[in-house]
Order: sequence, then structure tokens, then C-alpha cells
Amino acid sequence: MRRLLIFVLLVTCWTSWQAYGQEITADQIITKVNDLMNQKSMVATVRMTIVTSSGKTRTFEYESWSKDSGEKNLMRYTTPARVKGQAILMLNNADDIWAYFPRTQRTRKLATHAKKQQMEDSDFTYEDMGSGNAFITDFIAKRLQDDKMQDYDCYRIELTKKPDIDSHYSRLIMYIIKSNFVPVVIDYYDENDPSLWLKRLVQSDILTIDDIPTAMKMVMQNQQDRTETSMELADVKYNVELDDAMFTERGLKE
Amino acid sequence: MKRILLLIVIAGSTHTLRAQSVDIFGYVEPQLMVARVNGTTYQLNSNKLRLDLEAKPSDRVTIGANINFLTYHGKTQWSIPDFLPRQIQAEIPDFKVLGMSIDPYVLPYNDRQYLDNTYVKLNLGPADLTVGKQQLSFGTGYVWNPTDVYNQKDVLDPTYEQPGHNALRLDIPLSNRTTFTTVYSPNQWDESGDMMMRAKTTVGHFDLSVSGAWQAWALSDARVIDMLQMNFYQVPTRRTIVGGDLVGELLGIGVWMEAASHQVKVNSDDWSLYQTALNQQFSTPVWSSAFVPIPALMEIRDDYYELVAGMDYTFDSQMYIMTEFYRNTWAKSSSDNYRFNDWMQVLAGEVKTIARDQIYALIQYPATDLVQLSCSVLAATSDNSGVIIPMITWNIFENVDVTLIGNYYYGKDGTAYSKLLGNGGLTRVRVYF
Repeated sequence: MRRLLIFVLLVTCWTSWQAYGQEITADQIITKVNDLMNQKSMVATVRMTIVTSSGKTRTFEYESWSKDSGEKNLMRYTTPARVKGQAILMLNNADDIWAYFPRTQRTRKLATHAKKQQMEDSDFTYEDMGSGNAFITDFIAKRLQDDKMQDYDCYRIELTKKPDIDSHYSRLIMYIIKSNFVPVVIDYYDENDPSLWLKRLVQSDILTIDDIPTAMKMVMQNQQDRTETSMELADVKYNVELDDAMFTERGLKE
Repeated sequence: MKRILLLIVIAGSTHTLRAQSVDIFGYVEPQLMVARVNGTTYQLNSNKLRLDLEAKPSDRVTIGANINFLTYHGKTQWSIPDFLPRQIQAEIPDFKVLGMSIDPYVLPYNDRQYLDNTYVKLNLGPADLTVGKQQLSFGTGYVWNPTDVYNQKDVLDPTYEQPGHNALRLDIPLSNRTTFTTVYSPNQWDESGDMMMRAKTTVGHFDLSVSGAWQAWALSDARVIDMLQMNFYQVPTRRTIVGGDLVGELLGIGVWMEAASHQVKVNSDDWSLYQTALNQQFSTPVWSSAFVPIPALMEIRDDYYELVAGMDYTFDSQMYIMTEFYRNTWAKSSSDNYRFNDWMQVLAGEVKTIARDQIYALIQYPATDLVQLSCSVLAATSDNSGVIIPMITWNIFENVDVTLIGNYYYGKDGTAYSKLLGNGGLTRVRVYF
């Protein structure tokens, strides 16, 4: 009798879990993705490689610090010599952007339209890099049929831009690994033509760092220009203490 | 020879510098400029080596310096009158020393080596103190900066680096969003030196600042030679400059404004000395039968203002557009009133512009990942002249940029951007290391 009870209990738990798995909503999934991508704080070194349509490559390295779940971001280039010391500060989920140029020691505030600009002519825009909670605040999530992607069982979510939101994209299609909520693929569609596929972001080399699944490599493939840019992360640390003073104009010039 | 010795010393000390974690970087920049002036084609080639050194001997101390080496070839002596309007040629005096004519109106490009920036930056905890020759650049304008009392940008190439300035600068962050800055710099024209103060803060999505400066400034009368200084006669002025700037966003468009009001004072003794010098220069010798009238004194305004307003936008296609308006009421509103001294003071960098109202417009587009196309127009709306500046920047290899810049002046003779200034262009290769 006791065995039967345990069996019934296990079956109930299993079916409840399954039911939960099926009923998880698009908003819940996106919230988990957002929480995963916007840790309390993060420090990393990033190697960015641009591959042009003619096959030429350009490599950049920068140090990156973020705080307050991605609300504050600071990036400082370390190589190549051409851009060494240049720094970008993004606050308020990239609504406020400042750029620092070391040769002239001049800091310039950029308007939000600068988010559309490519980072050092790569396939990543500033919007792609520092939009904080944009997946939640700027888009409406809709769950599509689950699918397999890169050999992972994935949730498939469509994010459609809310009215009056200034974004470079009309919609995104996300493939999110069910087991860890890492978005393994994100497809980006044109702001004015929702059928025009602009770019695909592929995340790979997933490692668990400080209990947080982290894609150590990202490749942005431009579907129009046939160019791509990869970003490889190194020295990733989460939830480290970062002084607010880092995320100021004084910190930008350090 | 001196240059070679200096290079040997630098090369020899590289190992030592590395041991102390000194960053050595910089660039090499060969450049060829071609200009067609009055039907003749000239070319000027320059080679620049900029060597930067930076080190952090301790957590709170940064030292920085850079040495520039420049060599010039081709047409290295430019006669200024060749570029000046025909109607003011009569104002250019003929200087004679011991009966021989001399030409002081030559713009020379001489080889030079100089320490451009040399500074120590100390993090004092609640403030940063920077001492030495350093970059000082203020204001939100792209081409013109009324609140920047230290620099004058090249309007054809406004993002090119500025020279260093000897100063003592204190930056005091009052909060994460507010900083107070004060700059003291010595000045040859006033024993008390120059002072600048600036407070900058962020309100909403706007950066705002207010600034005040007290500065000694000399203006030259290029018709009078100061035989003691072997230079044009200079009249010192003392200025009080009050200004402010803001930058932010309206309806998704980047906007900025910058303005400054200048009060100019000239010591009466200095003015009397200048009058005497002018009279002596042009007084008719008693034995001469030809009477030469003494020209009018140069004009110095008591007060004037500068204003900049600009906006920019990036389209989804990555095309970037920008425009900026500039007014400077020191300058004259009609080209009929431009005098010889006005031109010479602009060329000497003593005055920012000869035309009162100007507009700058820029359109920029990344043709490929490595090639950037842009075209800018600089127009003096107060005298209907302008220059069109197409530009191509190609990142040909890692750390190597090739830039082609053209310039086509379309103003009539006598205007700020007249055809007389010569059309042409330059090719610049910059190799970073």
C-alpha cells in the first residue's frame, strides 16, 4: 500500500511537472532569458572578429563591465592600436550613451539613434549590446511551436516590437534551450519590413560559470551583406562588486 | 642629427620602459596635399611620427606624453597674399629694411620635433589633478566650440587632434552626474595667467554645463612690424567669457547648443603704444615728396557672442546626417567689409572666423565594413560662399587607414570660402602601432 502511494505521488509530480512545462508562457520564458542575460553584475574580456564579405578580418578586444542587471554598461577597447583606449558608457539600458576618444580626451554624448550604429563597423549595433530589459519592455512575446535548434530542445518565441518603441527591429524569433534558458539562436527582422530577415545571432560554447550558463561565443551573421562578426568571451565573472563611480564620465576616462 | 640621436635614445630605452610597464604607441602619417591656386598646381608632402608614452607608476598616478616629429617637402613656403582677395591687396604694406623689400607674409612649413603633451594625472580620491601640457577640449559643438577657449579646430578636418596646453586642471566630481572643473594656465600676456571654471551635470537625457573664463589674448596688426619681437605688432586684450552648452535628444534627434558671451578690454597704455607704433610705421619721412596716409587702427570689439546649434540622426540604413549652425558676432556680416587684418587674424588663429554666419552639413555612409564615404559642406551664409569636402576613409589593413579628402571652394573673390583659396585635396595614410 505504501509503495502504491509513493508511486501515485511520483506520477502526480511527474505529470504536474510536464503540465507546467507545457504551460509555461512566453512572458515567463522571456523573463527567465532576461534574468539570465542581465546578471546583477558582470565583468568579461571580449574578442570581436569581423569577417567582411570579401573574407577580410579585423579583430578588436575590449573589456566589459555591467551592473544593475545590465542597466549600466562600460566597454573599453584594448586592441587594436587604432582604437585603443576608446570607451563607451551606456546607462539607463542604453538610453544614455557617451563615447570617449583618448587622443583628444573628449567625451561626447550620443543620442539614442546612435544605438543603430554598428560597433566598429561590426555586425553588432550598440542596441544589440546594451539594451538591458528591452526584450521585456520593448517587445510583446508570443510562444510558437517548440523546435530543435543546434541539437537542443528549444522553446521558440516571437518578440514583436511594441508601438512607439524606437528599435532597429520589428520582430525577433528566439530559440531558447529548454534546460537552461540560453537563447541559442536569435533571428532579427527589419524595422519596416517584418518579413525581411536581417541578422542571425548564434550562441555556442556554453559553460557554467558561477552556476550561470554562459555562451562563450556569439556569432552575428548578416543575412543581407553576407558578413559576420564573432564575439568570444574570456575571464567572465558574475556578481562582483563594481563601484558606481566606474559608470560615470570620470570612470569613462580612467 | 638631433632627431637621430633622440630616436636612438628612445629605442635604447624601450627595454627599460617596458620593464616599468610603459605603454608605447602612436602612429606614422605620411600625407600628400595637392592644391591648384591661380592656375598653378602645388604639392606639399608631410611625414609625421607621433610617439605616445603612457604609464601608471602607481594606482593613483598616470603619466602621459607624446613626441611629434614632422618633416615637410614640396612647396614649404606659401605666400599669404596669393590667397587674399584682390580688393584688399592695396592694404598690404611694402616693408623695406635698409632700402631692401622684405616679405613677412609667408606661411612656412618647417620640419619640427616637439613634445606635444606631457602631463601627470593624480587621483586624489575626491578629485583628479592633471598638471602639465595636456589636451583641453570643452563644448558640445562638432566644428565650432564657443566655450573652448584653448583650441581652434580646422574646419576642413574638425576631428583632427588638437595641440596640448600647459595647465593645471582640477576635476572634482560632486556626484555621479555632476563635475566641477577648474583650469589654470600661465599666459605671456598677463602675469596672473588664465583661469577657466566649468560645472557639468546631467538632467534627464541632457548633459548641461556652464562655464566662465578669464583669459589674456593678443591681437596682431599685420601691417605693423614690432622690431623688438621681430613679429607683427600685438595688442594684448583681457577677456571675460561666460558660456554654456547642452547636448541631448528631442523626438529621437540628437541636438546640441553651445554659446559664449565675450567681454574684451584693452589697457589704455597698450592701446597708446599701438597707436604710436602704427604712426611710426606709416609716417611720411620729411624728405619724401610722396604722402602716405596713416591707415585706420585695427578694430577690436568690446563685446560679442558666439552661438552653435546642431543636430544629427542615424537612419536604419546606417546613413548618418549632421548639421551645425555657427554665429560669431565678432566677424563681419558682409564680405565688403573684410579687411586685411581680419584675414591675417583668422590665419594666425587669433580670431575664429571671418564670416559671421556659417552652416556645416555632413552626410556619412558605411559603403562596406571597411570603407566609409562622407561629404560635408561648409557654407558661410552671410557672404554666400562655401566649400564642398568629399571624403573616403578605407581601413585597408588592420591598423592602417587611408583617407582621401577633397576640397572645392565655390565662393566669389573676397568671400570667406572663395575660389582663390585653391581647390585640391589630400591623401593621408595613417599606420597605428
